[in-house]
Amino acid sequence: MKEIVIISGKGGTGKTSVAAALASVAQNIVIADCDVDAADMHLILKPKIKHSNNFYSGVKAKIETHLCVSCGECERICRFNAIIHTSGTYTVNPLDCEGCGYCYNICPAGAINLVEQLVGQYFLSDTKLGSKLAHAQLGIGADNSGKLVATVKKEAKISAVRNQIDYILVDGSPGIGCPVISSLSGADFVLLVTEPTRSGLCDLQRVWELTTTFKIPAGCIINKKDINLLISEEITQYLQKNGIYLVCSLPYDNDFSQAITTGQSLVEYNPSKWKQLFVNIWKTITKELI
Amino acid sequence: MKIAFTSTGTGWDAKIDPRFGRTEFILIYDEEKDELTSIDNRNIVNIAHGAGPKTAQIIFDQAPQVLITGNGPGGNAAGVLARMNLKILIGAAGMTINEAYEAFKNNKLQQGGENA
Repeated sequence: MKEIVIISGKGGTGKTSVAAALASVAQNIVIADCDVDAADMHLILKPKIKHSNNFYSGVKAKIETHLCVSCGECERICRFNAIIHTSGTYTVNPLDCEGCGYCYNICPAGAINLVEQLVGQYFLSDTKLGSKLAHAQLGIGADNSGKLVATVKKEAKISAVRNQIDYILVDGSPGIGCPVISSLSGADFVLLVTEPTRSGLCDLQRVWELTTTFKIPAGCIINKKDINLLISEEITQYLQKNGIYLVCSLPYDNDFSQAITTGQSLVEYNPSKWKQLFVNIWKTITKELI
Repeated sequence: MKIAFTSTGTGWDAKIDPRFGRTEFILIYDEEKDELTSIDNRNIVNIAHGAGPKTAQIIFDQAPQVLITGNGPGGNAAGVLARMNLKILIGAAGMTINEAYEAFKNNKLQQGGENA
């Protein structure tokens, strides 16, 4: 089983459009939506949830009032001002608590616990394409993390092993932070989707620097190539210099936004224009590059 | 020589864990003593952020000369490991610990980590 991760560095390059289009043409895949901060694969793939699990992450302090001796030490040391007291009763304001554990460690009465927080749920679903989708939903104010990406990928992997599926297609998050590192860890191929803008190229460089620490073979799709041919050329040279295979360049096309607006992948929205192209891209990746 | 493996289990038949930071176990094989010991890393799997540097700290404390893993470590973890005299070998995903050790002895593994 091989894991293919799609990332971009910069957001808005068309990463998820490419991921959804590949998901429409690829056989024998499990899809993992690891861009949990802005998950949108489900808008296109229309999943029917088969299994859901609670996702716990991070801790917050909780004062056991029957053990509290009202010494006020916790309030004194908390640098987030998260401890409040009214007439000698101390409590934690969960909105301010960062879960650092300082109060937990210094409380002389041992009255403070660190309680794991339920921040969201993760799912394994059947999609309208017939493939499975591992995905997640976070509560208000909760953020994506390396742990959540690892959890979603693991869910996808278990499903792939159980159903003898050959490929896991991971839609990663933008940026170069913990969730992206976690999506690269253990992956077999990286597909970079970029666009010819200054920030597109700059973020491509940053995410490539990260990818090289993992020594994963990589390919790149330059999306909206014709919006700036000069930077497109710069990107092409950058790819050559760094041994990144240029899988293809795509023109700017209104189909991208129209497809998403109608809840379809490019391949579903306009098959005569996109299907063969993405079949070829998938073939190139799975037959030649992995 | 001491050799560290990222592993999904505790014995020679366990599979290499392809992840570095969130590996479930770290196995240390001491060639002189012919002894395989395991460290349970699952509480690090459970932390939200910064798993890589924390796992790197454990490797640092164990002071092996060789690390065999899947495709990591990432930049921050590699920064920690660069402070010790450690040879990082990657590409062992899918192998058992035993197979990975044989591959290492036959120079079949790829060198990793020098970008840090």
